[in-house]
Amino acid sequence: MNLTLLKTGVRDALRRPWLTLLLVLSVALGVGVVVAIDLANDSAARAFNLSTEAVVGKATHQIIGGPRGVDESVYRTLRVQYGYRLSAPIVDGYVGARELNNQTLHVLGVDLFAEAPFRSYLAPQSNANASLDSFAQFFTTRGAALISADSAARFGLKVGDPLTLRVDTREHQAIIVGLLQAPNDVSSRALEGLLLTDIASAQELFDMQGHLSRIDLIATPEIAQQISAQLPDGLSLVPASEQANTVTQLTAAFQLNLTAFSLLALMVGMFLIYNTVMFNVVQRRYVLGIMRCLGVTGGQIFALILLEAAVLGTIGAILGIGVGIVLGRFTVQLVTQTINDLYFSLSVRSVEVQAPTLVKGMLLGIVAALIAAAIPASEAANVPAVTALQRSDLEDRVRRGLPSLTRIGVLLFIIGAYLIVFVQSTVIASFVGLFVGLFGIVFCVPLLTVWFMRVGARALAPLGLLGRMAARTVTGALSRTSIAIAALMIAVSVTIGVTVMIASFRSTVSNWLDQTLIADIYIAPPQTSASRTLTMDASLPERARQVAGVSSVEVYRNVTVASPDFGPVRLSAVTSSRTRSSRVYRYASGTADEVWRQVENGALIITEPFANRHHIQIPNPIFQLPTNQPANLPTVTLLTDHGAQTFRIAAVSYDYSSDQGSLLMTLDVYRRFWNDPDISSMAVYVAPNANVNQVEDAVRAALSGSIVNVQSNKALRETALVIFDRTFAITAALRVIAVVVAFIGVLSALMALQLERTRELGTLRAAGMTLPQLWRLTLLETGLMGATAGLLSIPTGLLMSLVLIYVINLRSFGWTIFFQPVPEVYVEALLVSICAALLAAIYPMQRLAHMEVAVALRSE
Amino acid sequence: MKRILLLAFVLAVIGVSAFALTRSSSPPISANVISLKTNDSIAGYTRAINRREWKFPNDHGPHLDFQTEWWYFVGNLDASDGRHFGYELTFFRRAITPTTACGDCGVNARDSEWATNQIYFAHFAISDVKANDHFSTERFSRGAAGLAGGSGNPFRVWVENWNVAQITSAALQSPDSLFELRADDTGHAIHLTLNATKPPTLHGDNGLHQKSEQLGNASYYVSLTRIASTGEVTVNGQTFTVTGLTWMDHEFSTAVLGADDVGWQWFAIQLSDQREIMFYQIRRKDGSIESLASGTLVERDGTTRRITKDDVQLQVLDHWKSSYSSATYPSRWTMSIPSANITLTITPFMSDQEMRVSIIYWEGAALMSGTSNGAPVTGVGYVELTGYATPFVQ
Repeated sequence: MNLTLLKTGVRDALRRPWLTLLLVLSVALGVGVVVAIDLANDSAARAFNLSTEAVVGKATHQIIGGPRGVDESVYRTLRVQYGYRLSAPIVDGYVGARELNNQTLHVLGVDLFAEAPFRSYLAPQSNANASLDSFAQFFTTRGAALISADSAARFGLKVGDPLTLRVDTREHQAIIVGLLQAPNDVSSRALEGLLLTDIASAQELFDMQGHLSRIDLIATPEIAQQISAQLPDGLSLVPASEQANTVTQLTAAFQLNLTAFSLLALMVGMFLIYNTVMFNVVQRRYVLGIMRCLGVTGGQIFALILLEAAVLGTIGAILGIGVGIVLGRFTVQLVTQTINDLYFSLSVRSVEVQAPTLVKGMLLGIVAALIAAAIPASEAANVPAVTALQRSDLEDRVRRGLPSLTRIGVLLFIIGAYLIVFVQSTVIASFVGLFVGLFGIVFCVPLLTVWFMRVGARALAPLGLLGRMAARTVTGALSRTSIAIAALMIAVSVTIGVTVMIASFRSTVSNWLDQTLIADIYIAPPQTSASRTLTMDASLPERARQVAGVSSVEVYRNVTVASPDFGPVRLSAVTSSRTRSSRVYRYASGTADEVWRQVENGALIITEPFANRHHIQIPNPIFQLPTNQPANLPTVTLLTDHGAQTFRIAAVSYDYSSDQGSLLMTLDVYRRFWNDPDISSMAVYVAPNANVNQVEDAVRAALSGSIVNVQSNKALRETALVIFDRTFAITAALRVIAVVVAFIGVLSALMALQLERTRELGTLRAAGMTLPQLWRLTLLETGLMGATAGLLSIPTGLLMSLVLIYVINLRSFGWTIFFQPVPEVYVEALLVSICAALLAAIYPMQRLAHMEVAVALRSE
Repeated sequence: MKRILLLAFVLAVIGVSAFALTRSSSPPISANVISLKTNDSIAGYTRAINRREWKFPNDHGPHLDFQTEWWYFVGNLDASDGRHFGYELTFFRRAITPTTACGDCGVNARDSEWATNQIYFAHFAISDVKANDHFSTERFSRGAAGLAGGSGNPFRVWVENWNVAQITSAALQSPDSLFELRADDTGHAIHLTLNATKPPTLHGDNGLHQKSEQLGNASYYVSLTRIASTGEVTVNGQTFTVTGLTWMDHEFSTAVLGADDVGWQWFAIQLSDQREIMFYQIRRKDGSIESLASGTLVERDGTTRRITKDDVQLQVLDHWKSSYSSATYPSRWTMSIPSANITLTITPFMSDQEMRVSIIYWEGAALMSGTSNGAPVTGVGYVELTGYATPFVQ
């Protein structure tokens, strides 16, 4: 490529600052959204990994037990009898710390003397600054704690200050006896949210005398196997990495969905780039044609235009990374909130900008710019020199190419549909299918636009010449108008799809809450972490039962138990003898009464997400053969305190409380297999003639002194929906960004269109058209485009919502969502499209108003 | 313009890649514990001031009201092929706060059995004379949850699986008493059956052993000076059947050293004519010896006699410098006790028997030769030299 050519490129870019800016902005916005989501996911993952590293240390294996943990005699035997020293006892849990603004802290109770091989930073004999005696307070004072020096500084705390730690229903006093000072930022972040105590203090804090949460080990596979073989019933030895993996897998589907949405934003951005580059090429056809006449090869022109796109794409990507980092602050908060609400306790103090994210954003921006520019560039390179001078040539070819373009579109649509419907192995295939299908629809947009304009011309005929002209202009500049329509259509259909999905989901959850929350008052300790087993004072149910107006009290125990096949699984045990509505079952092996009888006899009810997560085929009653044979559901083996035990599945229930799934059994059965007398929460039924509000107050008074949430059925329902809405806040935010991107797209397309028509409009003005008439013409044109986009977005959005509901959500999270039509969304979509289109006409029209007719005429 | 853009592009790519490379390896998580409050006061601990009413076997066990306590087991062992080994297995107890009279009471009441103010640690060493190899290591544990501790009746002191425990029901000082000693670490192990052939020796004034002038700078000190030992020693994975002699010291105190004291020299000597000598002297900063240096002579029949600084002439014949700690230790002595008619040359079996643990000191097996009551005599024993590498602060 020679210098002269490059110079023409640069000068051209500078001569059209607005277009150049638009292209840069499109890349920046698309990249920005992708980077912001990536940063949020990445920061959350890194924070998780760091805190895991700080807590797990160099352990290769862990000995874990049932709900009550591991009997401490196991550790004693390991150390005193076998002399196995690469072992460390851990008692840990979560507390809310009042002096740290009620932040949830991970309490790690350790035996410092066992720590050196594991968390080397904790061993007193290797800690130069601290002699044995200086740890005196740490060992001997109940509740003596170390927190990170950074946290202490942030909350204005110093050594000697008391801490009030809330564990489930009780508050405990603790005292800061020292600080953990991290020498670098990574360590500082790893220690964030950690509260270190002696193992004795931790046992007292969590009421775990005689038990450990786990025993950390460093062991070769052979030694691990030997130790494993010696373990008593109910304990298992697992690789340490497996534990962390299980936790990160919880959020995998959630994070994948966010990433997919961010790519959707980039896809809309690509339309913008295509549009601007195409316009740029068309504008320069005259010059490019002359160049071709002067002997510049097509290849050189192709390269020139791609190089321009690459450079502008790079600038846009750099800007986009900046935008992403700014947006990242918000996305990190939203993502962290959701993880804390639904999955596990995580404290992410800051957005951490990692090189891979930046490189990814950069490459995505440049590649998107290159792909989007490739078609216009080959366009410019391939036209013969003579016809290159004619602009109409392009439109002719677009119109001639319409059938094959549409055929490609239909083909892509079919491929997408195939991927969505038939490739069930991975949810990524469904997302790819969604993208391909959307592209397919986009390829059909030009033909559909032509059809719509025919209808439009007829509909606008009463407006006379202007009406027919407007429709014809849109068709006449199809290469540009159809892209603008497609961009707007995609953005609006994303809005429709996501809105319908969220609305359907919300109404499904709401209905489900109606059917499952059948007690009148719910009582539970405040949640400190979604993953923690809550334990409630066992005397509370009796106290509640004594309250006048209470007819009965149900007790629940929610724990995590180990399964050799499925890893750690959540288990709920209930005392309820009340028959549940058969509508809560997705599949039941009999009537609701029969199911409950089986459960009382030791069968389990599994939730739908559990079946999904563990690939358990749920029998479909519609396709069931009329043999009346019970469906063949697998059994579930659990490691109980009395060894491995196999349970039959009686039913699969709908459940939207978590995407991890859980098992349900009766409390009687649970206590037969686990030595765990504790309870987690309870539900109160009010006598038919009593006033629920009065009973609620009386129960609250009866339980005063314990920290419990006493919530009415209604309040609990509202809380659940608040969390639901919070979970989808980020999806809603992405939806807004998609509309903004689309708006800019339409703006750029219309500006381009109007700028290009300067001569034509000048002619019209010279021919006597008044300025108000020109206004009307332009508004009619953009309005027609907006209406087309809006009308097309309704079926597209609908299809998208169906895919999101029945394919992507089901495969990602295992939730059956019942579709809700939400009619107002479609009207809204149409209005938004038209308004966006009309608004986008304002700037070009203002330019038009200041146009001097003579200059305009001379411009070509 | 375009060239500038291209340049910017290239620079951006290089910058991002460089950033990616420099950030790819993250440092390990580390932290220092800071701002801990250290309590140097010995207020609240019992001190060794008065003569003591000894009550065995309970007094062989721990005395939690004193700050410091130790049980030293050192010995010289011979394999059937003549290969000589020295060993040390020492259990230390350290109270990090005073143990109150009522035990766990008041605001400090604890529910967890892991809670404790007693820390135990132990040193284990084997000197393999033939290989000229001295192996030393240590362990720490809390004196709770069954992980470490001690008891007098039956006698047991242990830190995890290192342990010395009575195996017969007879009391420790009786000749029938057998106890077992066990320790191992990375290819090194010792497993002995011990039989005390003499009753406990009370040093100083009926076991009150004054270390320096100041009241309370003393310990209660009792020894089993001649313990027949049989069993196995393993060095670098190779096991030897051995027999020999062990010496046991049990001492408890609160702050024995004066302000100007830096360490001590201690000799435990088991002579072939069935006499034993313990001699102990504290070194001061200026190189002088505390005037209260003293020891005990145990006769063949078990009767004991105090020996004082003036009874003993100790002369250093040689020195050895450690390349590990750079400390220079005395390494050969002549000791003469005219009042007991004893003259000995004391020679370590190996120069390097430095204990490379948290507190660096020299503790090693030594060979004696000379005369006792006019007759030629040989002997084995152990020498302890503290405060040479770093001042020995308790």
